[in-house]
Amino acid sequence: MERKVLIREFIEGLLARKGDTQPFSDEASLFVSGRLQSVDAIELAVWLEEVFAVDFASTGFDQEMIDKVDAISALVEGRSTRE
Amino acid sequence: MTAAADPACKARISPRKPFPWGFRLIPPIETFPPVLWFAQTIIGKLLLLAIFGKLLWYAHSEWRQLIILLAIITALPQYRRILLTFGALLWAGDTWWQSTGHRLLLQVPIVLIVAALLFSAATRFRQSWFGRRPVASLLAGFALAVLLASYLPTDRHLRTLSWDFLTVAGTYLWFIAYSLLDSGSKNRDPFALQVGTYHPFWGSSSTPFVKGAAYLRRIEAHNPEQLAIAQLKGLKLLTWAVILGFFLEKAFMPVVHGYLKIPLYSHLFELSIQRAPFPWYIAWASLIANFLRSLLQISIFGHGIVACCRMAGFLALRNTYRPLESRSIAEFWNRYYYYFKELLVDCFFYPTFFRYCKSRRRLRLFVATFAAACFGNVFYHFFRNLNYIKELGFWKALAGFDAYIFYSVVLAAGIAISQLRQRPVKTTSWIRGRFVPTFCVISFFCILSVFGATDKRYPIQECFRFLAHLFNLAS
Repeated sequence: MERKVLIREFIEGLLARKGDTQPFSDEASLFVSGRLQSVDAIELAVWLEEVFAVDFASTGFDQEMIDKVDAISALVEGRSTRE
Repeated sequence: MTAAADPACKARISPRKPFPWGFRLIPPIETFPPVLWFAQTIIGKLLLLAIFGKLLWYAHSEWRQLIILLAIITALPQYRRILLTFGALLWAGDTWWQSTGHRLLLQVPIVLIVAALLFSAATRFRQSWFGRRPVASLLAGFALAVLLASYLPTDRHLRTLSWDFLTVAGTYLWFIAYSLLDSGSKNRDPFALQVGTYHPFWGSSSTPFVKGAAYLRRIEAHNPEQLAIAQLKGLKLLTWAVILGFFLEKAFMPVVHGYLKIPLYSHLFELSIQRAPFPWYIAWASLIANFLRSLLQISIFGHGIVACCRMAGFLALRNTYRPLESRSIAEFWNRYYYYFKELLVDCFFYPTFFRYCKSRRRLRLFVATFAAACFGNVFYHFFRNLNYIKELGFWKALAGFDAYIFYSVVLAAGIAISQLRQRPVKTTSWIRGRFVPTFCVISFFCILSVFGATDKRYPIQECFRFLAHLFNLAS
């Protein structure tokens, strides 16, 4: 639960920098809808690497993996489960 | 890498309105409940298709085939992806039959079989070297094949066959690359459906519009309401494309090149090559006019394609979205030609960024940006037109590509620096916050466009000579 809160906070920060303060749900698409963009994908991916030690070099990277809060949470959880 | 082109839905979250009193040239009809409801009825769908068809008649030479396919897809949404494959095969047959005296048409099934084998290998042997780097292997293999073909003796039948194959393979290269990127997905489409994204019937250039099968799965309408929204947005976008088309033909060209008598950029460049004199301000006027015209042309081209894609039930993002509002070089590059940028990001930027220089954050971004905006950009354009390589040979053609290589190096440096300097949006005065950055960005791309010609290749010294004309340094 705390993981999702952290992820949401980070995404809210990314959106706020663009002046987007609209709410979003855990199932809402962030990249496909255009609210977040490629540059944000990189920031988000780097943050996931640093905070949750997600290794995209081994899993490969696709924006779909981080398109929703739920998807990001599952990605991080998958990594934890493998550990 | 850079910000994605904003979708139509972005307008809802944008606090800025195009007109101070909230007027919009094309109203957001997809947000009006009665219109949305009507668009889901049979009569509504027929009316939508009729209006769309009428607009296509203005915008597209093959409007009949397009509207028939769109009508079938609208009627049978459950078979949308299969129909997409059918449409792509129809495109292949029609295009290669018409343009090349049937010879290249024979190469199409061979290319598709090779693509199927590559897709199957990437799927089955994911832990192999090829499976881990399918796109890099594809591109390296293609480049090597072109290099070898350029050394084949000119009088041999094998040479003709090789170039025929490579010409067709080159046309599908980036579409196959997207399939290979999708080969690692858990819910990937079978190859038969991947073929639907290989030059889809709604149109594309060598750049896949709109990306590959993975993207289509994400943006596909899954219920009548989503389909209605996608189609209404498609109709709006096509309307905008037609308006821009009229503006270009009936206002921009007659006023700029007729009334104001500003010469065409290509004509002025030829004058520069022939050492004919012309005033520096004419060079600027011609360059700016050419830049604005290319903005209009790319908008019309992209809007038409994305509109048809939306009409087919895929809510794709626009290819060009308000490029003149860009406040950074990276933002402009993204807003100008979104699907080309996405191609370079997917095929070059991400693989480099997530594999190399991981411990050094800024260097990592810089290297990945160069991999995409410089190397990927040069690779794409160099191999896009194989005729130069066929005629001149590989190395001579590469040497003759120096102007575009210079263009790509400067562009990549500009994008990288712009990304590293990225700051949150602050509220400042209109002059400092909007006008100055936008003016600098537009000036950068306008001047750089002197080196960016890809259809006709000029020696780099001629590009520098034209640049000197701009600053009154050449006679």
